[in-house]
Amino acid sequence: MPRLNFEDVVVPHLDAAFNYARWLTKNDADAEDVVQDATIRALRFFSSLRNDDARAWLLTIVRNTWYGRLAQQGHLQPVGVYDEMTDNRRDEGLGPEALVLQQQTVEQVQRAVESLPVDFREVIALREIEGLSYKEIAAIVGVPIGTVMSRLSRARERLLRLLGPVVSTGESA
Amino acid sequence: MNCHEFERILDAYVDDELDPADAAAAADHIEGCAACRRRLASRESLGRLVRSVPYHAAPARLRTAIASAPRRSRITPTALAAAAVVLLAATLGGAAGFRARQTSQATAAVAENVVNQHVSALMRDRLFDVRSSNEHTVKPWYQGKLDFSPPVADLTSADFPLIGGRLDSVAGRPAAALVYQRREHVINVFVLPTAGRAAIVDERSIRGFQERHWTQKDLSLWAVSDLNDRELHDFVRAFESATH
Repeated sequence: MPRLNFEDVVVPHLDAAFNYARWLTKNDADAEDVVQDATIRALRFFSSLRNDDARAWLLTIVRNTWYGRLAQQGHLQPVGVYDEMTDNRRDEGLGPEALVLQQQTVEQVQRAVESLPVDFREVIALREIEGLSYKEIAAIVGVPIGTVMSRLSRARERLLRLLGPVVSTGESA
Repeated sequence: MNCHEFERILDAYVDDELDPADAAAAADHIEGCAACRRRLASRESLGRLVRSVPYHAAPARLRTAIASAPRRSRITPTALAAAAVVLLAATLGGAAGFRARQTSQATAAVAENVVNQHVSALMRDRLFDVRSSNEHTVKPWYQGKLDFSPPVADLTSADFPLIGGRLDSVAGRPAAALVYQRREHVINVFVLPTAGRAAIVDERSIRGFQERHWTQKDLSLWAVSDLNDRELHDFVRAFESATH
């Protein structure tokens, strides 16, 4: 087995890391900081990488780095302990007036996804945008595959409610 | 399957995560149920909308900051030599004399090499010598540049548009590299002649990339992408059926 080289193994997944971080943090500057911290950790723990999936490994580190920073800043909300079936948390940062959809479609969609609670937002980003399988997402997020599916389902239901008019007008094709 | 059951597996159905029996039962149900067809259609159009949001690629500044990591070549000279030996043996028709273990080591080395070529084309931003989605432009472009003619088909109808091609190499031998796309993911198909009779098939996951190897007539094909395994499988099927 040839020795693994950080640049060949990790750097190719930098876009995926940044995209994921950007969806977690919702802004470029924080996403850059998170990815930079994450790659430093990745370099340090590089020997723990098994050969099979560098992307999932890196994305897991990105996620842990981000949660670590939140905890340091004292913003950490209890995550992953809510009851999936009786979830009635409010969507983040999208007031009723913002629901008046009057902007460009892409911007509406971006804002709608950003307005989801983070554990819904991340499964949407990992599945729809990064194209990962349920199994890969389950490994990164650290939940069972069934939970990935139920989060995706709930996230999509919410998006359909937020974007209803946009989705149905796009339907004629 | 009734509507309630269908709703419970709707997302797994859209995401192609059901086993074949459940997928067939779901397909059966929507055939006869207009309400569930609408549910499915709205999920699908939501998916298209979400995927239309621009991809957040890593900024150049970040890339530069991280690129100061130590550099070392991944492929050892020994592995490359083993790969070259087996390719040579295949060319001479003497592959039968090799032990299976050597063949599998060499296959692994070629797979590594193919993934490296994929990554290096992406990183140097040198994906195309010919940039076109027209198979009648891409295929003739190789004439006079290679001693074989790679199979080329635009797979836009299967949602894998052809976007171009270039000259590349696999284990030191000239190869055609065809470039396809799905969403933001690039798929490289490396094509080169193989003289071995055995239809060598290989699939593996290397550093987050999926690799699939198969043969068509006397050509050896290697597809590499960071797409998920399932979609790459669909790609290979679409490619084979369009070029056979």
